[in-house]
Order: sequence, then structure tokens, then C-alpha cells
Amino acid sequence: MSELILEVKDLVVDFRTDRGKITAVNGVNLEVYKGRTLGIVGESGSGKSVTALSVMGLIQKPTGNVSGGEIVYRGENLLDKSVDDMRHIRGNKIAMIFQEPMTSLNPVFTVGNQIIEVLELHQSHLSKTEMVDKAVDMLKLVGIPSPEQRFKEYPHQLSGGMRQRVMIAIALACEPDILIADEPTTALDVTIQAQILDLMNKLQKELGMGIIFITHDLGVVAETCDDVAVMYCGRIVERADVHTLFKDPKHPYTIGLMDSIPSFDSTQDEHKARLRTIEGMVPSLFELPSGCSFQDRCPRVIDECRGAKGVPVLSNYKADHKVSCFNPSH
Amino acid sequence: MSSEYLLEVNNLTKRFPIKGGLFGREVGAVKAVNDVSFKIKRGETLGLVGESGCGKTTLGRCILRLLEPTSGEILYNGQNILNYGPKEMRELRRKIQIIFQDPYASLNPRMTIGSILSEPLRIHNLFEGKKERQKRLYELLDQVQLPKDALNKYPHEFSGGQRQRVCIARALAVEPDFIVCDEPVSALDVSVQAQVINLLTDLQKDLGLTYLFIAHDLKVVEYISTKVAVMYLGNMVELAEASELYGDSRHPYTKALFSAIPVADPSKKADRILLEGDIPSPMNPPAGCHFHPRCWKATDECKTAYPSRTDASGSHYYRCYNPIN
Repeated sequence: MSELILEVKDLVVDFRTDRGKITAVNGVNLEVYKGRTLGIVGESGSGKSVTALSVMGLIQKPTGNVSGGEIVYRGENLLDKSVDDMRHIRGNKIAMIFQEPMTSLNPVFTVGNQIIEVLELHQSHLSKTEMVDKAVDMLKLVGIPSPEQRFKEYPHQLSGGMRQRVMIAIALACEPDILIADEPTTALDVTIQAQILDLMNKLQKELGMGIIFITHDLGVVAETCDDVAVMYCGRIVERADVHTLFKDPKHPYTIGLMDSIPSFDSTQDEHKARLRTIEGMVPSLFELPSGCSFQDRCPRVIDECRGAKGVPVLSNYKADHKVSCFNPSH
Repeated sequence: MSSEYLLEVNNLTKRFPIKGGLFGREVGAVKAVNDVSFKIKRGETLGLVGESGCGKTTLGRCILRLLEPTSGEILYNGQNILNYGPKEMRELRRKIQIIFQDPYASLNPRMTIGSILSEPLRIHNLFEGKKERQKRLYELLDQVQLPKDALNKYPHEFSGGQRQRVCIARALAVEPDFIVCDEPVSALDVSVQAQVINLLTDLQKDLGLTYLFIAHDLKVVEYISTKVAVMYLGNMVELAEASELYGDSRHPYTKALFSAIPVADPSKKADRILLEGDIPSPMNPPAGCHFHPRCWKATDECKTAYPSRTDASGSHYYRCYNPIN
């Protein structure tokens, strides 16, 4: 196994709302290794983005609050860091790219300016010309044609795929240890998505960073990730390496997710099989049932799940395959 | 009157003028839909796929005459609806309905589900009388599997999937024959997406509906459609039976589009055709075949004129000089 760079331990994140307190992330444990990609999969509201924002130290107080756990980056707990120290880490050692490349770039600055801004903050020892050179190099690295020209252009002059490439260039400008990608291709068309995923794989091989890849698309997970964590209602319900998870999923939710994607094979025969679905819908975080959050939608539900035994704990099903379920599939 | 085809679209073109200069003269045009022809049989689903800006939504709206086409014909039950006056159009809209992509934006937040669903009935004077109407509303809720007490609730009390069910019920209220589904599941989570797809297929069977199903997700379209049409920059580049298109696509763009879909199986390494570059602007599309700058099979011929239609087997056709196989 390669070097462990980030460890999230028992992370709990609360939000205060008008209707009371909700716990968006509840006891999440994750590890990120150098040169490997960890995928976090889940539906909206499962807490995957909040987990990522906590690692970045971007949970807004006083609405949001990291109320428990540790985020250990190279032996140091990021939650104990001062605002100034965090500023040195964020964007420098741990960088993030967001879903919407249209809204995460500043429309009134040129692309080049926005890359240089990162360098000014984190690599102030460079001279102005070195920064310009570096920025152009970054644009070249992410495969933008005629980078010298693009350097001077504004975000609106670029297409969606190009903007996402610029976002990646900004994130990688300081050669971070960890790159957090929050649904980086969801807003893009499939052919452009394929280009961006290919680029990220290539850059990871070249630069060796650890990636946390957040997505709801199991196809994307299968192609880009080494390890996968499936989240549901703020908790991790299953964790394994990507091959084990897809070959032998154990949690009924994971199985349900995989079954609900139409596959091309199923359409080959005349009588199309009905899509298998997960009954009902994700419960509101205000009204989580006691016991397992998935109980009301679960085809394998038993009495234990209803709360008498508390919430199922994420435990070893096999070595390196963890499931939190009282009645996992065999 | 009842021909085999419910809808027939011939050489449909929609241009959006670009105005510029001091007096707002027309300085150019976006050809959003360009010379598109297809037919849909009664009870069938035609899937329409393509990436953003390919004109699939514009095409759907032209069929409902929410946008006025520039030229071409739309035959519904054998009659060209582009010649219809406002009164005839109003009657036709009872037969053609639409479901939109975003169930958060397409329901009025100030109306209860009951008033949302009874509005189309009121407009078309259907199911008059309090009891009749109430019965119809319950029937609709039942068809889309929502509880009866939904009638007095407001859209914000429902999740995305349930809202999309309300939108489906609203479209069904006037007993249409034909529904344009414009990305009806794109905004939904996967587990809910499967529920809505199943609902749409069940309704089609029970009520004998005909769908035009617009989406960018090829897997969903393949699953739900009888035939699938692929669009690129305003042109329909290929149309075939759903099962045939996947296994036997002839147009390089279709092939690339299919190969770009991530496969949910880590042991299969997709042999992917990575297209270079971006989709060109529809304001200024490349000469000849619009796909040629990204196409690995392009020859000089492709740069001269747009390829005409080549018929393969049955209803399968494509527009390409250098098809695959």
C-alpha cells in the first residue's frame, strides 16, 4: 500500500437550520493514499460534499459546525489549525475543483490572472515572469491549445470543457498532495466528460497526488477510482476497493444503486426487463428513523434494523471490505 | 385519418436570427434544427439524444409549436399542424402534452397540487362538475402513485421524484395521445430516476401513449425507446431501432458517443474513442459535415457538402460519407 496522506476519523458535521439541528455527516472514516483515487458515491443529501468541504476547512460557522472527529493530514489534525495555517494548506497542499465550471471562475479576471492569484498566495518567492511562465505551463499541462493566447482570455470566451480544464490547472498550480474533485464532470457532456476523466487519470500518474472523487455516477467511479465509499444519509454504508465493490456488493443500498442503472446488455433482448428500483425515497435528515436509515426502503430489512440494536456499525465483512448492515447480502 | 404514424416530421428547420448593428438588422442565424425528418408510430417511443446545443429541445418545442418552425412540415394524424389556427391549436394541445426537465421550476410554488392538476381540466372544459373533477384528480394521483392527501399540499412539500410525478399527472390530465418528455429524469437521483422510468413505461402500456423522449443519457434513452435518433449541431445524423443502434451504429459520432459512456464495471476497460476538441458553436458551424473537425474518419469530401441520407436496413438511416463497417 502506498503512503497514507489523509485520514478522516469519526467526522461529525452539524448544521443549524430554522427547523432545528441536522447532522449532515455522522461518524465518517476515510483514508486517502498517495497516487490513489478514493471515490465517494451517494445521492443528493448523503453528505458527500459536506465531507469534502470539512477537509478543506470550508464549513461556514456558525451555521455549520464540525462537532466531532479528526482530520489528520500528514500527522497533524487540521481541525486544530488556525485560520492562517489553514490558508497555507488550502489551495496549496489540498486543492479542490467544483462541479460548475461556469460559476466557479471569476468572470471579470482573465484565466491567466486567476492561475497567478494562486501562485501569488502560495508561491510568493517566484518572480512575476516566472509566475506567468508557470501559468502558461499549467494551461499546456491540462491540454489547452494555444495556451499563450488563452492565458489572456476571459472565462466566457471558453467552452464548458475548457473552463473545467482551467479549474484543474488552478487546482494543480501548487502541486497539491490531495485533489478533491466534487462532481467535476456532472455539468459536462459525455464526450467532454471522457476527455476530462482521461486528463485527470493522466495527471495523477504524472504528479502522484491522492484524489478524492465525489460523484453520483457509478460508471465514473468504476473507471476512475481505486477505492470506493458509498454514503447514505450522512454515513458510510459500504467501503471496499473498486473491484470488490462492483463484483460483490454487500449492502442492499449499494446493490439497489447498481441495479437501477439501465445497462445496454439488458436492452438487447426483445422483452426489456423492468428496471429494478429502490422503493420510496431518501428520508429527510430531520426525520431519520432510529436504527438503520435505510430500513424503510430496504428489501432485506429485519427486526434488528428498526432501532433496538441502534445504528449498524461499519465493520469488516472481509479484510478491506466494510459494510454497515445487520443483514448484508450473501 | 388514422394512419400508422401518429407523428411525421418532414424537413423541419428552425433558425434563430442574430440581430446586430444600430438598427437591429439580421446579421446571421443559428440553425438550431436543420432539415430534420422522422416518423413516430402510435404507441412507440422515439428517443432523441445529443449533447448540449444539438437542438433536441428546440425540436421538441417546435412539435408543440411553442416555437414556430422556420420551414418544414409537422403532420399529426396526417394533418399539417403548422397550418392550424389558434383555435385548432388549442384543441390539439389537449392531445399533445409536454413534461419538462426541472420539476422544481415547472410547478407554480403558490398553487396546491389540486389546483395544478385541475387547471388543464378547467382550460379544456373536461370533467365538469365538482364530483366528476374530484374523481378524475384521485384517478390521476393513483396513476402516478401519489397519495390522495397530496391534493392539498404545495410543491415544496414534495421531493424531486414526487414533483416529477405531479408533472406527469398534469400532462396526463387531459388524456393526451402524445407526450414530449424533455429530459424528464435528468434532474433526479439514480434510484428515483429508475422509478420514474418504470412509471413512464407502465403508463405507456396502460394508456397507449406515444412518446418523444429527449435526453442526453444514452443508457436511459436506449432503455425506454423503440427507435433512437442522434442529433449533432442541429442535424439528425443517425436514426435506428434502439437495439440496432447500440450494436451496429454506422455514424462515427454515434459510435464515439456510445464509447464515451463510463461503464459501471471496473474489470471492463472500455475501448474508448476520445473525441478531440469541443462542439463547435452552432452560430458558425464548420462547412460540410459539421462533425468533420472532430471525426477520425474525415476525408476531403466531408468538408464540401453535408452528406445526404443513406438508408441502411429497415428504418435505419445515417448521414455520413465514411460510415463505420
